[in-house]
Amino acid sequence: MDCVEFRREAGADPGHLGPEATAHRDACPACAESLRRTLELDEKIFAALTVPAPSRARSGRAAVSLDPDDLRRREASQPGRVIRFPVIERRRWMALAASIVGGVMVGSLLWIGGPRASLARDVVEHMGHEPGAMVATASAADPAEVEAVLERAGVRLQSGIGIVSYASTCPFRGEKVPHLVVQTTAGPMTVMVLRHDRTAEPMEFDEGGYAGTIVPAGPGSIAVIGHAPAADLEQVAGQVRSAIQWK
Amino acid sequence: MNAPFAGKRGESAFARLCDELRPDLFRFAFWLARDRDVAEDVVQEALLRAWRSRESLAEGAAVKPWLLTIVRREHARLYERKRFVTVQVDELVGSESPELGVAEDQEVLNVRRAIFALEDDYREPLVMQVLLGHSTDEIAVELGLTRGAVLTRLFRARQKLRQMLGLPGGEEE
Repeated sequence: MDCVEFRREAGADPGHLGPEATAHRDACPACAESLRRTLELDEKIFAALTVPAPSRARSGRAAVSLDPDDLRRREASQPGRVIRFPVIERRRWMALAASIVGGVMVGSLLWIGGPRASLARDVVEHMGHEPGAMVATASAADPAEVEAVLERAGVRLQSGIGIVSYASTCPFRGEKVPHLVVQTTAGPMTVMVLRHDRTAEPMEFDEGGYAGTIVPAGPGSIAVIGHAPAADLEQVAGQVRSAIQWK
Repeated sequence: MNAPFAGKRGESAFARLCDELRPDLFRFAFWLARDRDVAEDVVQEALLRAWRSRESLAEGAAVKPWLLTIVRREHARLYERKRFVTVQVDELVGSESPELGVAEDQEVLNVRRAIFALEDDYREPLVMQVLLGHSTDEIAVELGLTRGAVLTRLFRARQKLRQMLGLPGGEEE
């Protein structure tokens, strides 16, 4: 791969370089610098794209009701038609908010009883974005790259966590998070450092063909996903949690 | 067929999930339409369509890409139904609601203005990649393009942004 080919590949998808591009980057300081600038630009693009989303209760505009009872009524009254969500008048807002809160509480109780917590669901969904990353291999990723990925999220490793074969900064729930793949005796496991997603207590899940655990860590949490028994996932989660220093 | 969103429990789960995904859906719609009000309308219509079809979903993990596809189609439908007035980008940015006209810092605002000015063909795949975390293959499927075409658009989108922002590397081809 020459410099022009590298810059075309890195300019199109700087977060996911192929093996040839990675080798070229390591051998060519000018292209490594070009990649650094592109990743820097991507961080600015991400910040610019993250426009404020409206709250449901924003005044002066129709609020969207996602209350199932309300939706069911509208569906029954106007089947097959494309209709707008109900506009919630301000004076009805408090009453409706109370019903939504009640609904969410009931939903949450049901939710806690099952494995499909939404954070877990998002983590599993994210796995689908990088299916090629979680492979068994003896090759370690460039330690500098692993450090850079963690540094971007404001964390660093105080001690080793085994062979890290893959490291990437990924968009997740509106934030950029480290996505690592660690090689263990129980097979490769994905580790996501979720500074912005706090969980009160450890959560296990088995969904979409993956098993996983999400444990509280620092200001957020750490997710470990793989095809291994829960005990192995928990062990790796514990090792990562002990090794990470939050800045 | 496994239908995770059937029944009352499924309805509550689906509504809660939609609520959590709403910010991302709104941002995607916003960058398609470049208009907050249109984006809110698109998300409302899309959520209702999704609600009606929720039982057809076989996997919970597929909700987000499914909703994003609905948002994209709803935006296209709205665009077909309504002819929007064409305005200059500077005018558009200047007339935005306050929270869009003010960013955390001037640099972010400058990049936002530059993204506003990108043609749809370049802006859309860039949003899908950088904001939503889609892979090149996923973008290709969603936009009905070849993988190579997606990579070319992504490369050119960044080149154009560099040029507009006066950053080094904008001349590289």
